[in-house]
Amino acid sequence: MSFALLAPLGLAALVALALPLLIHLVRRIELRTTPFAALRWISERIRPRRRLRFERPWLLLLRLALLSLLALLLARPVINESTSMKPAWVVVAPGSALADARAAVSIANADWRWLAPGFPAIETPAPDEPVPAASLLRELDAELPQATKLAIVVPEELSGLDGERPALSHELQWHVVPGRMPDEKLASSRDARVLAVRYAPSSEPSIRYLRAAVVALAAQGDEYVLDAQAQQAALDGATRQLVWLGAELPPPIRRWIEAGGTAIVDHGAQRDGAPVWRDADGKVLARARPLGRGRLVSLANALAPETLPALLEPDFPRHLHDLLQGEPRAPTRAPARAMQPAHASSGTPGIVRPSAAKPLDPWLALLIAALVLAERMVATRSREPA
Amino acid sequence: MAAVALIPVDVRARLANLRLRARRGGGGDGLGQHQSRSRGAGLEFAQYRAYEPGDEPRRIDWKLYARSDRYFVRESERDSPLTLWLVIDASASMGQADGVRPSWRKLDAAKAIAACAIELAVRQGDRFGLVALGTGGSSLIAAHAGPRHRGRCVLELERLECGGTWPAEAVLRPMWERVLPSSLVLVLSDFFDESAAELALRFAAARREVLTVQMLSAEERDFPFAGGHRFVDPESASERRVEAAAVRADYLERFAAARARLARRFAASGVRHTEYFLDDVPDLPLRQFFGTAADRGRA
Repeated sequence: MSFALLAPLGLAALVALALPLLIHLVRRIELRTTPFAALRWISERIRPRRRLRFERPWLLLLRLALLSLLALLLARPVINESTSMKPAWVVVAPGSALADARAAVSIANADWRWLAPGFPAIETPAPDEPVPAASLLRELDAELPQATKLAIVVPEELSGLDGERPALSHELQWHVVPGRMPDEKLASSRDARVLAVRYAPSSEPSIRYLRAAVVALAAQGDEYVLDAQAQQAALDGATRQLVWLGAELPPPIRRWIEAGGTAIVDHGAQRDGAPVWRDADGKVLARARPLGRGRLVSLANALAPETLPALLEPDFPRHLHDLLQGEPRAPTRAPARAMQPAHASSGTPGIVRPSAAKPLDPWLALLIAALVLAERMVATRSREPA
Repeated sequence: MAAVALIPVDVRARLANLRLRARRGGGGDGLGQHQSRSRGAGLEFAQYRAYEPGDEPRRIDWKLYARSDRYFVRESERDSPLTLWLVIDASASMGQADGVRPSWRKLDAAKAIAACAIELAVRQGDRFGLVALGTGGSSLIAAHAGPRHRGRCVLELERLECGGTWPAEAVLRPMWERVLPSSLVLVLSDFFDESAAELALRFAAARREVLTVQMLSAEERDFPFAGGHRFVDPESASERRVEAAAVRADYLERFAAARARLARRFAASGVRHTEYFLDDVPDLPLRQFFGTAADRGRA
């Protein structure tokens, strides 16, 4: 638990403390007027001292506190909450046998955790879903205090990686034990894939081009099963690819895409997204963008030879296949020995990573509001008897 | 009766054993209780009395002293009445009062002392007159005797308000025509104005018997102030802005010196002088002038 300021220059607002001090001081200079006939025997040499005494000290204190808190609010205080005070962490990637891990690591009094979102304690059952290992390693590096010792136990085969070898600022021990991390179930490319086509009546002539493309793809080794029906027909549960010809996407289809489907729509309604298909002149014919966990590919024009001449080109089936499959995925699996994290110099010292820091603004705001109320109460109440 | 308001009940009770006495015999006509300077066929010897401190040395019977080696005072039957003049300073500085008792100003105390003196004079059949010196010129009530005159004077006392400064010399001139030599003049003033002291000294030089009471407030005596103060003079526009606690010692020293200087001047001119503070009882100055030796010792 540590306290830090994101904008320490905000404390310069503490200069404003001089304001209430001056206000309470200036009133002090007033003198009491006393009629006094024996005036001539009073020495004139000693002027009244300007004493540093303040009127209504409680009100002054309230006002000073109020201004200090405002300055503190400007300085954006955060509180750094580390979940554990233990000096060492041992993080075990799922897939490693716990016994092997305990045998490999020899750090006493360590906090044992699973390498999983939220870093659950080792006592909880091992997560069996695939985990984004590289991302979790970076998160761990950012959130743990620099002094914490870190040991990571990984199985021989890692998954959930991304293109880059992780670079961590902590000194860490990298233990590799036998095992294999759970992985995403990838559909085998050999399985026949269902390509659903849902068309409006006006778009029925386009079906034959798709049929031809599917036949051509089958000849090249990419088998698709075409499921062409009218728009109202429901989608099969196993269907992952859809070509939607005709009017706007209805909400059920949109939800289906968000659940992980890939859809190609013609009548290019969307102008955003990354270009994924260009013709020989460089004109963008299709754009793709993610929608939920799925992809939405928008053709610039209707799927017809008049508006989309590329339909007649011999490479159309290959382009269709690419549109449906998207870019090839980056490799996410690697042997653990090869992926030992590199050591990176830590970020700028003193900068608290925002992910680990909890802002105190709401509590400060509440406190300030309470102080404003109290200040008003004190200021108005003591004026009444005067 | 209106005078009741001026004299507190307990003070009135204490007045019973006080007598107005002049050092020098008066020269007036008629019968009174005071030793007379008049001598003649009708002057009848009454008794010898042992000398007391305060008796005029000239009243000692020196022949008797030669015989008996003791001082004796001849007392004669025929005593003449006394004329008492009350001179009250009604300038603005007499409006000064203590913070603890704002309604009891110096002027109120002076009125009470004057009323007490009038009571004594009425009881003894002496003549008394009243002079108030204030902003609207002086008001003057000629000397007479008797309860009716007391009523007139008390009425004037009650009406009297302070304000302004000490009047100019021309205003004082009628007073000199009225206040005859050998009369007893009781001056009630704070004597902060030099003219007031001068007036008393001139009376004394002109064979009037002068008693002065310097009216002072307890604040002027003790200076119980602290913190920053702006002291303003009620008679002029001048003011002092001072830190009260810091000037206190200096003020007390200088003020005491000024009072002592005034007392010495009066003593040198044969003026009987006393000080009255606002937290004293109002009959105290009279007791110091006219009381027994025990009273004087208490002062």
